[in-house]
Amino acid sequence: MLKLLKVDFSRKNLTMKKFKLEKIAHRIRKNIIRMLAPYESHHIGCSLSIVEILTVLYFHTMKVFPKNPGSSKRDIFILSKGHGAAALYSTLAEKGFFAKKILQTYDRDGGVLPEHSTRVVPGIEVSTGSLGHGLPIGIGFALSFINNHKPNRVFVLVSDGELNEGSTWEAIMFAGHHKLSNLTVIVDANGLQGYGQTKDVLDLSPLDEKLRQFRWNVYNTNGHDMEKLIAVFNRLDKSQNNWPNFIIARTIKGKGVSFFEGKFESHYKSVDEKTKQEILATL
Amino acid sequence: MRVAIVNQVYKLMKKDKNIYFLAGDLGYTAVEQIEKDFPERFINVGVAEQNMLGIASGLALSGKKVYVYSIISFLIMRSYEQIRNDICFHDLDVTLLGIGGGMSYGYLSSTHFALEDIAIMRVLPNMSIFSPADEIEAVLGVKKLYKYRHPLYLRIGKRREPLIYSKPYKFEFGKAVILRTGNDTAIFSSGPLTDELLKADLILRNEFNIKATIINLHTLKPVDKEAILKYSLGKKIVFSVEEHSAIGGLGSSIAEILTQIKNPPRLKIIAIPDGFVKELGSQSYLRKRLGLSADGLTKTISTTLKSK
Repeated sequence: MLKLLKVDFSRKNLTMKKFKLEKIAHRIRKNIIRMLAPYESHHIGCSLSIVEILTVLYFHTMKVFPKNPGSSKRDIFILSKGHGAAALYSTLAEKGFFAKKILQTYDRDGGVLPEHSTRVVPGIEVSTGSLGHGLPIGIGFALSFINNHKPNRVFVLVSDGELNEGSTWEAIMFAGHHKLSNLTVIVDANGLQGYGQTKDVLDLSPLDEKLRQFRWNVYNTNGHDMEKLIAVFNRLDKSQNNWPNFIIARTIKGKGVSFFEGKFESHYKSVDEKTKQEILATL
Repeated sequence: MRVAIVNQVYKLMKKDKNIYFLAGDLGYTAVEQIEKDFPERFINVGVAEQNMLGIASGLALSGKKVYVYSIISFLIMRSYEQIRNDICFHDLDVTLLGIGGGMSYGYLSSTHFALEDIAIMRVLPNMSIFSPADEIEAVLGVKKLYKYRHPLYLRIGKRREPLIYSKPYKFEFGKAVILRTGNDTAIFSSGPLTDELLKADLILRNEFNIKATIINLHTLKPVDKEAILKYSLGKKIVFSVEEHSAIGGLGSSIAEILTQIKNPPRLKIIAIPDGFVKELGSQSYLRKRLGLSADGLTKTISTTLKSK
């Protein structure tokens, strides 16, 4: 009886949490559309695909301190797929790292938010933009924390196209060999990369088996389902083998905006002001 | 030279627990003591230079001072973008210990030579370059630059380079060292090739009655503009001597300064012509073949001065 009650309670808690997070994700997604510079902003689909992942990381999983971004207690997040910066800026603003009105300087002349994430922005640890850089840098942080016996964790979000990069696999080998258990990689597996479908360009399937061979704990999940994402992130610290963690988050490019959803060209295409307003009206 | 530098880094690591040493699966008979005494802070990253430079950046971003050790071509050319985007763009406290400056790998041939390194490192924002002439200067620099907190590239020879200095001197980063004085011309040099130049200078003085001021620019970036101007002004012709491509190295950097002033002297850049070195030989053999030995330098300098 007691056990049942407990389960019910945590279940209810999770549902409430999920509901709350979904509202936040909705605002983050809406802000991404609001901040777009008509005709100028690209990389929209690959920002929309990571909204739920970022929401769970910043509003559930990671220790972050919006009023003291450099706190020594913080977990480290690296957006290795720097072209998803719009989603990260929007998330950071939602979390209170900086004022939301700054989002309107995205992709604008004289603005402070370039289309690839930059460390000048409060809350951003590493400037990225070229693929295959984030994971090696994340390893540097992870080693530093382990050697100093610190509990901080490191999260690196990569794109599936980025798994083509040799430097990413150099890093995968290293982290597996050195048992960097404080390191978690999330791949935004939207199945589309720069010039085609991931499975047509360089098919890495079965990715989970490959990663296990490299001594990583692998978790498959739906990258838009808050409840599932929370469950996966909650499991991370419970493995006994000290392997690093790899979350394969299946996502949909352009998720949540029918104009972009599932479309390859959402990586490149911009929108005009009229279309932008039409999209906003649907959200 | 490399052992003297590694030993100096060892001393710093003993004192400062914040220092990391990364190696790209190289360093046999040079780095073993560091590995033995600081096992957590010595990381052999494996044959994976891009990852190594990324890891160095992450460590530096978390507040560590990082030395990265490998052969120049692998260290800076394989991972050039990591150096630009991760280390320079973030202005990180990472020192690149590049082994094998110029043709010091001799018989190992072109893949192991570093003849374009100054050109590609000099252009990087936030990067500084230190190119010591011998191990005395190298150790002085490493000691002094311990407190430096920005990207730094050390162009290191290999081993058994002749000593230029007899004892340590008052080293200043970015400040040229006058090795010989004379009014006939000025010759700018850097790195272990300075030894050949000093030998050439003796012949020039004794056999040709040419007395040159010899300026050692151990800091290639930021280069000592003041010294370049001071010793060039009033001369009809000055020289630069380097074991590097004629494109983009010490000579180019001097030319960039001299072309900005009124009535500059002519600058004769003595370097390796654009092209891969196709001959096989030791460093000293190749220097001879390419006109960079004491005899070759003597000939070029004396004939150029005669034809002015």
